[in-house]
Amino acid sequence: MEKQSEILTEQLVSKGFVTQEQHNEIKKYGQLGIFSLNTELLFFLYISVLLFTSGVGIIIYKNIDSIGHLAILAVNFIVMLACFYFSLKKAKGFSKEEVAFDNPVYDYLVLAGSILGCIFMGYMQYQYTIFGKDFGLVSLFSAAFCFVIAYYFDNKSVLSIAITALATFIGITITPKTLLANEVYSNPQLSYYGLALGAILILIMEYTIREKNKEHFHIVYATFALNLIGICSIAGLLENYWYVFIFLMAIAIYYFYKLSHQIVSTFLFVFTLLYAYVGINIFFGRLVMLVDTSEFIVMIIYLLPFYVIGSIFLFIKLIRKFNKENHAGIQ
Amino acid sequence: MLAYNKELLENGLLLTEAKRLFKMKFISKEHLTAVNQQLPQLQSSNIFIRFGFFLLGLFLFSSMTGFLSLFFANLISSNYEVLIYLYAIIGLVGSEVFARKSFFGHGLDDAFVLSWQGAFCAAIGVSFESTTLVFAVLFVIALFSCIRYVNTISALLSCIGLVGFFFTIITEQKVISSIYLPFIGLILAISIYIVYTKLNSNSNYFIYRNAFQLIKIFSLVLGYASVNYMVVRELSESLMGIVVTKGNDIPLAFLFYGLTFGIPLAYIYYALQKKDRTILTIGLLALGYSFFTIRFYYSLMPLETALLLAGILLFVISFFSIKKLQHKTSGITFQPDRDANSNLILNAQALIINSQISTQPVIDESKMPFGGGGFSGGGSGESF
Repeated sequence: MEKQSEILTEQLVSKGFVTQEQHNEIKKYGQLGIFSLNTELLFFLYISVLLFTSGVGIIIYKNIDSIGHLAILAVNFIVMLACFYFSLKKAKGFSKEEVAFDNPVYDYLVLAGSILGCIFMGYMQYQYTIFGKDFGLVSLFSAAFCFVIAYYFDNKSVLSIAITALATFIGITITPKTLLANEVYSNPQLSYYGLALGAILILIMEYTIREKNKEHFHIVYATFALNLIGICSIAGLLENYWYVFIFLMAIAIYYFYKLSHQIVSTFLFVFTLLYAYVGINIFFGRLVMLVDTSEFIVMIIYLLPFYVIGSIFLFIKLIRKFNKENHAGIQ
Repeated sequence: MLAYNKELLENGLLLTEAKRLFKMKFISKEHLTAVNQQLPQLQSSNIFIRFGFFLLGLFLFSSMTGFLSLFFANLISSNYEVLIYLYAIIGLVGSEVFARKSFFGHGLDDAFVLSWQGAFCAAIGVSFESTTLVFAVLFVIALFSCIRYVNTISALLSCIGLVGFFFTIITEQKVISSIYLPFIGLILAISIYIVYTKLNSNSNYFIYRNAFQLIKIFSLVLGYASVNYMVVRELSESLMGIVVTKGNDIPLAFLFYGLTFGIPLAYIYYALQKKDRTILTIGLLALGYSFFTIRFYYSLMPLETALLLAGILLFVISFFSIKKLQHKTSGITFQPDRDANSNLILNAQALIINSQISTQPVIDESKMPFGGGGFSGGGSGESF
């Protein structure tokens, strides 16, 4: 690859797109022979944290009723404190801007500490029910804990654990009810909660952008909100009360379409379109089922290719517009 | 043979290179825009959009096949496999049309190029009912598609066809004893790698460089997989009926144990020598799988201890490597590459973490009665 790049650069030089000066600089850089292990080593740290915390999780629950469990729990707590102690010593303190440790190792210590903290809280709840009878509450506390840490240490991974904890909080408070209630009506309810959480995430994100408080977190919120709302509305569309979700989904899609233009995110843009397309197709399917005659369905199958070709043209047009507005073709 | 204008394809390569130089801050945005505007380009799209159009393309293809099935279902009463050949022809015609319209790496073209190969192989499979033949056909038509449409994934399919062909003539036609299977695999991997190096160094074939990269990855993975102890043992149990008991291992077991660890280490060493990121990544993944292989058969210690120790060991290794490499400014270093998009990787890590600690540990564990290993099993399974 290296050699090919050199040849291509030379071609660019000969066509006059790259000046001789720039070419010299490129050559000089090439002579340094830099081979960065940055990504690989960071990924190693990431895996090591996951392995370690999984190990701790199993050890604690394997020894739950044995004599040693208090000792193990204490060790867990001490390790957690140690993680935060070292990170705090190196941290630059809270700032609304993006802050990073000088050495990225500490990001992973923070991550390890947060997961250990969650394990600790989960165990305390299991053994001593410190958060009352409601098991869901512990996720809420974990979420709060992780939010604080994510904002203080500027850690996106911990933020994403916090958001998932919130989602599980909603899921877990519903599960006992779903068992009691009629199963058919339980799922739409879950979808409503999911949509509500998505809306909350959007509000937080808007606040984040407007107040410039950890502005770079917005992409995490946006991704979670889009996927949560997209999946919940599609699940809702398959339920009995589907007509409600049509309106909710239309509003959400319109919002995310605008948002993806605003923050120039191709990822959001494409996934918004995909969710919208799936939603519209389910909607059409619902309409066809209302008519429900086999001749009509045969006609639909004949028309389907034209429908798809039409939608492809529409998508190409939308993407051209997106690229033109944001010069995404260049980035 | 080439379905596209070669000059346009080469312009695409120049644009990619210019983008890279822009990202590394060697050239300004004006220079990049100049390249983009002055060199005519084929219609390509970025990876997310490509994925979206790929799905749409598949949808289009299947709706067309549905259309035809309905149309012809009344006309023909037997020989339904003719219809599948017809689908393949539709796919081929579609690929040609997209190539004419200069769609390249756009998503729609990928969907049709892959669909026609899939349909044609299915048709051959239905008419002749021979896996060997299907693989042979796959090898030929995928090679054809790769060359004609400069399609990267077809290169992979072609390799799969080749290997599948050899695999089936040994296991099904019994041309030679299955005991030679690992060595045939190794020889194939080496030959594919040699072909790769020959092709990759020829500047006439620059436009295929992504396909070559995929071939290289395939050969490296094949080389490792064909001598991995677990693969060999499971295959010899199912193909030759060898039963492994205590004190009785598969033939040449020591060789496979050695190679299971030797090959990944060799990859990593070679990669660091040659500064080749692809080989390094494959070497690391392969090494991870080797540990998994050994643990699968011999549990020297309980899972939780293994996880704990592995976590600590890995942390220490990376910590000291980072310390050592942090301030180096040439050669192997910890400084981010000028063209590396570290923000993207960190975002990905933040989002992936949910799939890796599957659900919030608190919940999993509070519901876990006693000793459940469920959640961490998932975690370790994915990371290795």
